[in-house]
Amino acid sequence: MSPSTSGPTAAPLCPPAEARRGSAEIRLDVERASYAYTSGEREAPLFTLEATSFQARQRELVAVVGPNASGKSTLLRLIAGTLKPLSGRVQLDGFEASQLDPRTRAQRIAVVQQESPLLFPARAWEYVLQGRHPYGRGLRFETPEDGTIALNAMAQVSAEHLRDRWMNKISGGEKQRVILARALAQQPLLLLLDEPTLHLDIGAQVDLLQQLRRLAEENRYTVVVVTHELNLAAEFADQVVLLHRGKCLRVGAPAEVYHQDLLEQVFEAPLDVELTPASRPRVHVRGKRAKSAG
Amino acid sequence: MRPVTLKRLAWTCGALALVLLATVAAALKLGAVPISVSDLLLSMGRVAIGRSDRLPTEYRLIVFELRLPRILLGILVGAALSVAGAGFQALLRNPLADPYVLGVSSGAALGAILALIASPHLPLVTPLAAFFGAAATIAAVYFLGRRGGQLDSGTLLLAGIVTASFLSAVIMFLMTTLASRDLRGMAFWLMGDLSTPQAVGVRSVLVVGFLVAAGAIYTTAADLNLLLTGEQEAAHLGVNVTRVKLVVYLGASVLTGLAVSVSGAIGYVGLLVPHAMRLLFGSDYRLLIPTSALGGAIAIVLADTLARTVVAPTELPVGAMTAMAGAPVFIYLLRRRLR
Amino acid sequence: MSPARSWAQASVAKPIASETSFLQVTDEAGRRVKVPQPVRRIVSLAPSVTETLYALGAQERLIGVTDYCNYPPEALTKPKVGGAINPNLEQVVALKPDLVVVTKTFNRLETVEALERLSLAVYATDAHSVEDVLSSIERLADLVGAHGQGEALVASLRARLEDLRQALAGRAPRRVFFVVWQNPLISVGRRSFLADALRWAGAESVVNAAQDWPVVSLEEVVRQEPDYLVFAGSHADEADRTFEELRELPGWRNLRAVRERHIAVISDAVNRPAPRLIDAVEQLARQLHPKAFAEKHEKRSSKSETRAPQFATAERKELCPCAQ
Repeated sequence: MSPSTSGPTAAPLCPPAEARRGSAEIRLDVERASYAYTSGEREAPLFTLEATSFQARQRELVAVVGPNASGKSTLLRLIAGTLKPLSGRVQLDGFEASQLDPRTRAQRIAVVQQESPLLFPARAWEYVLQGRHPYGRGLRFETPEDGTIALNAMAQVSAEHLRDRWMNKISGGEKQRVILARALAQQPLLLLLDEPTLHLDIGAQVDLLQQLRRLAEENRYTVVVVTHELNLAAEFADQVVLLHRGKCLRVGAPAEVYHQDLLEQVFEAPLDVELTPASRPRVHVRGKRAKSAG
Repeated sequence: MRPVTLKRLAWTCGALALVLLATVAAALKLGAVPISVSDLLLSMGRVAIGRSDRLPTEYRLIVFELRLPRILLGILVGAALSVAGAGFQALLRNPLADPYVLGVSSGAALGAILALIASPHLPLVTPLAAFFGAAATIAAVYFLGRRGGQLDSGTLLLAGIVTASFLSAVIMFLMTTLASRDLRGMAFWLMGDLSTPQAVGVRSVLVVGFLVAAGAIYTTAADLNLLLTGEQEAAHLGVNVTRVKLVVYLGASVLTGLAVSVSGAIGYVGLLVPHAMRLLFGSDYRLLIPTSALGGAIAIVLADTLARTVVAPTELPVGAMTAMAGAPVFIYLLRRRLR
Repeated sequence: MSPARSWAQASVAKPIASETSFLQVTDEAGRRVKVPQPVRRIVSLAPSVTETLYALGAQERLIGVTDYCNYPPEALTKPKVGGAINPNLEQVVALKPDLVVVTKTFNRLETVEALERLSLAVYATDAHSVEDVLSSIERLADLVGAHGQGEALVASLRARLEDLRQALAGRAPRRVFFVVWQNPLISVGRRSFLADALRWAGAESVVNAAQDWPVVSLEEVVRQEPDYLVFAGSHADEADRTFEELRELPGWRNLRAVRERHIAVISDAVNRPAPRLIDAVEQLARQLHPKAFAEKHEKRSSKSETRAPQFATAERKELCPCAQ
């Protein structure tokens, strides 16, 4: 597809992406979902996320990118069902996400965030086992099956060897894997990650995204990753949602979304975009050397 | 990998219950008036087979009217304070939280003082008034501690501390300006004192109240484990955070109010026992709540027995013993874990 | 520390009497008490009660006292049951008393109720004036079957008070400030028997407060400019030392009474509603109105001379709410 000639002044409505892989049904349907934070009833909104739309299927990885305060976290919360959209809808397999009861929602949607520091020491396996909470009954004593599922989850992220270690004694990358394992233990349909690469070195970042890709494929997840790492998103995502100041500017394959003018406008930095042989765009910060037109 | 199972819970509680039983037996035997083990067993036997009228009166009085009720009261108070402490530590996300940090004990003390002023001659009024004082404080701090419609840990803590200070100031004012003869006993009560026998009605209320409040907190035990990893994380895992916080707040406050109404503010138990139980049995609240209850009961009965016997016939206030005995034990446990 | 008595020993000491008669009385706190007759075993939970029982000659029947019962010295040998505020209930029960005597001022209602629930007869005394103290002694004497001794004792005390009144007739009372405690500064309230005792001694407390032990501000004392400062203490030297310290302190040193060294020191028996109170009153009267007693010097019998009081700081602490 040729890059569109229209710039950031294009209409804010985002057309849904075309079918990319096979005829798998739509799992996540975000249709013109919007939200506004206000401090009071009659006050002007502090921040608004305008109508955003995109769709995702099983085994797809969607990246939500944009500068700070563009509404990425808000969008994530709408998808997670913790916020109810002001207008529009967010549906997971036909069910409105915000209207699911917490227990069912936790069985279908797993969210991975920067964890708050733990108050009391816990072992990794204890932490992962908490992912089985949405399936517990009564006093919720875990069953042997729960234990197996938790171990499998850790195995999937190559964290089995960490299971008896204390959470506050393992490295950042190892902790990230354990947190991910907990999300996997929830056996969700939808996996949401909020800036998972923040404290990781480049090797660990690539490692994580490769894992996510693999997990999406193996476990048939739909994965939505909020990140500001443009190149990681470009390399691993099937779709990219570009947000800027609460507006959804573009939805589509990375090559469609990463246009130089658009990106420069959004990120307010001198940027160059080039395509790799695999049709994945690469973004570079433009140096003092003048670059030949690409 | 050893998750908490029902079996493990049963074994642990069983072991602690045995320790409690041994402590109670020792407490029955020891006191200002020495009673030998054989006498004790003999009289237990007599009571068991319904021949209690054969016991010499003073003996029956001392063991069954003085020591046993006091021990039972200590068990209830110790269990209540420990469970409340564990609950507040989770609710406020603060390992230093104890049952009194939200002002409940000051409210109870104020209620008791007001009762003494109004009608110094009615016995039941003091625990009742103390409990109402506690209840009023619970409500006030709840409304002050909300943010955006639900309880917020930081705001709650501040609201509680401010309320506690204010109530303490009012208490000081009253104690200084009013006819001091009625209030001299208050000073003793404020330190924490189990020596006042309670009417049977009060005891039943205590038992029922403890079971209901502690039971309510226990239903949220699994949720509390998750809550401690973060409120948002817990919500994403299906925990109804608002409901859980409210249940724990009410349950722990009611437990504290009940305990303080009958025994004054016995310190350190609510803070140290949950930590000791964590060091011994882990931080999982499904295990922590029952073990804290049993551990607290053991601690108070021990402390009270010491308070009664160390410089007999003079009695020390229980609160002094809990502080003196508790801190070294805790340090030992802490060092053992860090090694 | 007296050896704790095993319950077995205690039960041997008293023959089990199945037929005991009871006397229904109303005590000075307005409570109805059923006192078994005759009263053979008494526990006293207040130092004033202990003193009174000794003065009535009933000490043989006194089987338990508090840690603070230090007068007369023989009382120190009696079995102890703990403090007045927190007596050890087990000990009291083990002694199997017929009667437990308390004071409304120094004992707690909870203690009384607890003892009653254990089926013990508890009688409370409550004196707000010197006359109250005398009638209290009379009633206690009747209760324990020492009617004759009680009558005689009270009669002699009344006679002394009458003498005192005559000696002080026509003399204006001295304005005094009675120092119960220094830090914080505590004096006596107008409703306490102490204030009345001061009046009998020809003095008037400058503090007019409703509380029994009011905390007063030094400014108020300076404003009132009392004629005399009154200290209750065990030794004259101790009071002297206290006075020397006070003399240097700001506020105190401005007082006329301090500058002119108008201080009176009396026995701390003045703190107890017991027969020795009269001794203390006389002692104070003589210091405040020396001229009134110059002529009567020879008439004094040895009995009414002030005995050297025992040193007992514990006593003072017990009476001070601040030290609880």
